[in-house]
Formats: sequence, structure tokens, C-alpha cells
Amino acid sequence: MNTIKLYLHSMAILMKSQMQYPVSFLLQTIAQLIMEGGEFLAVLLIVDRFDVLGRWMPGDLYFFFGMMSVSFYLTECFGRGVTGNFPTLVRTGQLDTMLLRPRGVLTQVLCSAIDPRRITCIAVGVLALILGSRMSVIQWTGWKVLAFAEALIMSMLLILGLFLIEAVFCIYSVKSVELVNALTYGGRSACQYPVDIYPRPLRAMFTIMAPFAMTLHVPAAWILGKPLYGWPAWTVFVCPLSGLVVFGAVYVLFCHALRHYRSTGS
Amino acid sequence: MRTKAYASIFRMNWKLELQYRGAVLGGIICQIVFGLILVSLYRALYAGRPQVMPIETVSTYVWLQQAFFRMILSSDSDLVGKIRTGDIAYDLVRPLSLYGYYYVRIIAQKSMGSLLRAVPMLVFALCLPRGWGIMAPVSPAAFVCFLLGLMIGLCCVSALENITMGITMRTLDPKGIQAMLNLLMMILSGNVLPLTLYPDAWQKVITALPYAQLLDAPIRLYTGTRPVTEAPGVLLLQAAWTVVLTGAGIALWKSNQRRLVIQGG
Repeated sequence: MNTIKLYLHSMAILMKSQMQYPVSFLLQTIAQLIMEGGEFLAVLLIVDRFDVLGRWMPGDLYFFFGMMSVSFYLTECFGRGVTGNFPTLVRTGQLDTMLLRPRGVLTQVLCSAIDPRRITCIAVGVLALILGSRMSVIQWTGWKVLAFAEALIMSMLLILGLFLIEAVFCIYSVKSVELVNALTYGGRSACQYPVDIYPRPLRAMFTIMAPFAMTLHVPAAWILGKPLYGWPAWTVFVCPLSGLVVFGAVYVLFCHALRHYRSTGS
Repeated sequence: MRTKAYASIFRMNWKLELQYRGAVLGGIICQIVFGLILVSLYRALYAGRPQVMPIETVSTYVWLQQAFFRMILSSDSDLVGKIRTGDIAYDLVRPLSLYGYYYVRIIAQKSMGSLLRAVPMLVFALCLPRGWGIMAPVSPAAFVCFLLGLMIGLCCVSALENITMGITMRTLDPKGIQAMLNLLMMILSGNVLPLTLYPDAWQKVITALPYAQLLDAPIRLYTGTRPVTEAPGVLLLQAAWTVVLTGAGIALWKSNQRRLVIQGG
């Protein structure tokens, strides 16, 4: 409980500091809107030219896009310490101070940054979700809401876990490794479309290595009434748990890496 | 004398860019994964609804965009820091124009940065089967036009970059406006979605904008979307935008220099 209170308190302080430069903040928020708006525009234009993508209708595509951008940017907003700042913490030796304090390192890293500019990206995602839900005429039930919530939370854990891989690399080699971007940003780009349209190697990559298919596509496809690969309903609630598994596994690696951490500070 | 100075600045920055070969490898692999994802997506779309433009053209477009990604998105991070610390004073003492100095630097960075990545990526794309990778240029003449267009595009993107820098110099906020202009560039230069897949009516407007002159125009010459007979017109439009943007940039930097405050002491 104490940890959550600490996290909320840090978020409040960080928000205050972000608001010290209102014009810069506004411009950056608009820049984020252009970015995510551009991504969504690409989906709209694709629908305009191609109408369908395999068995997926335009509404379905908007729904998939919305689920991906909401979970990805919620993670980027509240997990900024892991998704953005970590390489700097290692390079500058700031991580040292975190090792001294009587709190978990990951807790402190998460408490160290917030990125409220992402609010516009999340808004674009919510818009896409509403549009997709309307166009595909989703009949929302309690179970579907539950599946939706589970999918979001598990996807966020998965994304946080993937960014944490970068942090692990970072501790060992001090430099941020662009390679992991293929899983994180590549995963976002690829999996804003349903995974079954891709050839087998890519499908394997995003089902096993970075299981967005499990955390996002299985439940989303079921909510849309077109189960992925025709899998039964119970998979909808079991498959997303792979997000937790990935996060747990990487967290163990992270703790292991911390024991090998050699400071760069001066 | 001047040209000799610029040539040596160019050489120095080329060599500087060559120093980070290790970091390049990760970037190349990441860019290749992105290329594969995009090509797979467009192939899946084509399977449902074939288009007038063949899939080979789209996959070639994607690979060329990915290969020269670094040409579009890379900027000189030193300049803003120099203004903030006051080190810009050293640059002002040089017997060269400030604009020219940074123009040569950015051209060197962008050309070396993209060559280092483009060559291995294009070799990889050439090895992929037809319709997945990159096709050969439609004719030798088209290839020559493509290379010419690419060079003008490089000058054009550097001129654009210097305008962005000029605005950053005024606001001293590299994150706000710079980010916004860069993202606009990603969308309107065909990186997010090939400009050839935009609605036909939109393309008439978008291809006339400066952002389409960077990579879209040369790629269209390479794939034959614009035939060689139309090449002079394409290249001329590119060159015209480059001249306009360079002129605007020089004017902006001149006025910036007058109001520049040297910080620190």
C-alpha cells in the first residue's frame, strides 16, 4: 500500500514540474497528436483504398488499432521511467542513489518519470476504439468488458517487460540497444493489425517472443465475434496471462542484472 | 579557399559518422524488421484487393524508404547545446558563414549515416524473393535519374533541417517544434504510408510539397511510377524547392544571428 502511495505522490510532483513550461508542454502534446493522428490516418487511408484486410472489416481494424495505442501509450505515460529514461540513469550513474534507498529499484525507477504528453495519443486510441466498436456493432457484455480490461492490463505488463529487456541490456553494456526496438516499437507497428495476416516467422515472433497476439489479438478478436484461429472462449482469459509471464521472467533477469551492475558515476 | 574549408569540414564529419559502426548494426536489424512487417502488411492488403500499381513497386518503395531512413530523420544535436552554453561564439569567429558551416555538417552526417545503413539493407532486400524485396530499377536511365534525384533530395532535406534548426535557435526548445516538424516530415515524406497509396486526389497536392522531394520523388523515378521522360520535370521541382528552402534558411539564420545572445561567460 505504501508503495502505491509513494508512486501516486511522485506522479503528482512530476506533473507539477512538467507544467512549469506550459508552452513547451503544449507544443509537445500537439506533436504527439500529430504522430498518433498520422498513424491513425494511415489506417484510415488503407481502409479507403483496400476496404478489407483478409477477413477483417474496417471497424475491426480500428478496434485493433485502438487497443494497441491505448495500452502502448498508457504504458509510455505511466512507465516512462522504464520506457524512456533508464539508459540515462545508467549512463550518468544516477542509478547508484536508487540502490542506497530502502525501496525496490523498479519502484523507484517507475516513480522517477511520467509522460503526460501521451494523453493525446491515448485520446486518438480511445476514438479509434469507439469508432471500431460502433462500426463492428459489438454487443458489450460483462464478460467482454472483463476480457477487454484483462487484455489492456496484460498488454501493458508485456510492453513494460519488453522495455525492461532494454534496461537489462543497458546495465550490461551501458549503451542503449536499438535492437530491442524491433520488439517494442516493431511490435506496436506490426500488432496494431491482427497477427493472422502475417507470414509464419513474424507470427511466431509476435506470438512467442513478444506475445502481443496472446495479450491483445486473442481477446480482441473474441470481443469482435471472430475468434482468432477459431480458438475456444476459455483461451481468451488464459492467453493474455502470457503478458504477466513475460514481465515476471524479465523482472527476474533485471534483478540478476542489478547484482552485476557496475557504476559509471564519477 | 572557402570550398577547401567546406570540403574538409565535410570529410571530418563523414569520418565522425563512421566511428559508431557498432551502434549501426542494431539499427539496421531493427529497420529490416520494420521493412519486413510493412511489406507483409501490404502483401496481405493486396491479396484481398489487387491494385493498378504492382506489389513489387510497393515493396521497393518500402525498402528504399527504410534504407534511407537516416537521411530523413537525423539532426545535429550539438547546435542547440552550443547556443545554450555560449559555445556558439567559437563558431561565429570562424571565417565562414554560420549557415554554410552547419549545412555542410548536416549533409555529411546524413549522407554517411544513410550510406552506412542503406548498403547492407539494400543487399539484404535484393536477396529476398520477387514481390518481397527490392526490384531492379526499370532502366539504366531511370537509375541515373534516381541517383540524381537522391542527391538533390539530400540537399533539400538538409535545407529543411536547417530551417527547423533556425526555428529551434529562436525558441531554444528542441523538443516542441522540432518534434512536430519531424513528425510531419515522417507522414508527408512517405515513411508511415507510401505516398503512392494515398488517395489519388491527395497525391496531386502532396507530391508538390517539399517533403515529397526528399525520397518520394527519386523512388518514383526508380520504380518507373514517373517515367524517365518526366524526369526533367521531377528533378526541376526538387531543385526549385531546394533553392527556395535554402534561401529561406539563410534569411532566417541571418536574422537569428543579429538577435543572438551569447550566454555564459
